[in-house]
Amino acid sequence: MKPAPLEYLAAATAEEALAALARFDGNARLLAGGQSLVPLLSMRLLRPTAVIDINGIRGLDRIAAGDGVVRIGALARYSALQASAVIRERVPLLAKAVPFVGDRQIRNRGTLGGALCHADPAGEMALCAVTLVARLRIVGRAGRRELDAEAFFQGPYTTALEPTEMLEAVEFPDGAGAEAVVVEHARRHGDFAVVSVAATGLPAPDGSWRWIRIGLGAVADRARYARRASEGLAGTRLQPADVEAAAARCLEDAEPAADVRASAEYRRHLLPILVERALGELARRRR
Amino acid sequence: MSARVTVALRVNGRAYERVVESRRLLVDFLRHELQLHGTHVGCEQGVCGACTVLLDGEPVKSCLMLAPQAHGHSITTVEGLAGRGELHAVQQAFRDAHALQCGYCTPGFLLAAVALADHGVALEGAALREELAGNLCRCTGYQNIVEAIERYLRQAAGGRRDG
Repeated sequence: MKPAPLEYLAAATAEEALAALARFDGNARLLAGGQSLVPLLSMRLLRPTAVIDINGIRGLDRIAAGDGVVRIGALARYSALQASAVIRERVPLLAKAVPFVGDRQIRNRGTLGGALCHADPAGEMALCAVTLVARLRIVGRAGRRELDAEAFFQGPYTTALEPTEMLEAVEFPDGAGAEAVVVEHARRHGDFAVVSVAATGLPAPDGSWRWIRIGLGAVADRARYARRASEGLAGTRLQPADVEAAAARCLEDAEPAADVRASAEYRRHLLPILVERALGELARRRR
Repeated sequence: MSARVTVALRVNGRAYERVVESRRLLVDFLRHELQLHGTHVGCEQGVCGACTVLLDGEPVKSCLMLAPQAHGHSITTVEGLAGRGELHAVQQAFRDAHALQCGYCTPGFLLAAVALADHGVALEGAALREELAGNLCRCTGYQNIVEAIERYLRQAAGGRRDG
């Protein structure tokens, strides 16, 4: 339970980190919060030649709103997201999801960018990114590119990031005025989700909802945006019949796997229940 | 850049410098390089919280950091709590409430509690238990730990008001 020998490099700038990634030719790992990476090193599930510590890169943790988006630096820690009024007011779904992540110590170190690059299918950050169609800003030596969250995640622990690229920031749509709910079933609080559901939307004065988005966690090889279920709710008042129909539709997007935490069957059983719970709570926010 | 690096940091207010293997975990650095054995190694995968220390005042799990990451930072371990032969208030509260049995998890709980008091957090009951979810205890059933920390946090808040 100790990491294999490795080289350690502290990068002071993104350019330094990228140069080091290139030098190790895909055999280096970026180290942000380390809350997933370090256990993987200790268990020797990963044996990179080098780790490149990006914690010293200034400004990589900045949270700023403008131009209809909230831009969050990849190095923003969970505890910073929790403390941020900008996140609470403009990306309420993220604010609701963070308390489900790990525990206080983990949240003091873990980062948004690290969680997204780790791409755990049960991860709450990936769930939020996919649900809100976040844009991921990626930088490589050849320049910058952007990807939608759905294109970024390619499978369990697999992303579109090249080994010589790094995630720089994530842009969430400015959701000022939106309501958001995250419900999760886990065996213990703070443990990995068996199933998680994110729901968010903008309530209109007449009681109808728009911009409804439902995200599903831990029921496929990556977080899923439940497109059909979400679109079916546009303009509704989230009445019980609407909610029930949406919950049934969410099952179309689920391809759950069996693992140590639950069987696939159990996940299928839980999913519509949690979707109904999430949408029910969203509807109650308005009354 | 090398498989060995110099780590210079402050632990409990004292400056240390050591050259260590890059792969050295912070908890092992504290125990094996600095001979500070109060920080315990539990699960080594960030679950149990026995290795909790304060990094620049914030509780973190020292099995989830490489020692070189602590370069230039300030660490507080359980050895930094008691002063001049007197128990720290949180230690006294644990003693008074009989909040430890085997004691293995205790240093982690103490530091988690100190961080709460330092942040002016005065929680109790379920909210406090949730805040302490990163520290596991296999002996006590938590009742007395929660009681001790409630008592300590109340006392710390009272001290701030009086001060």
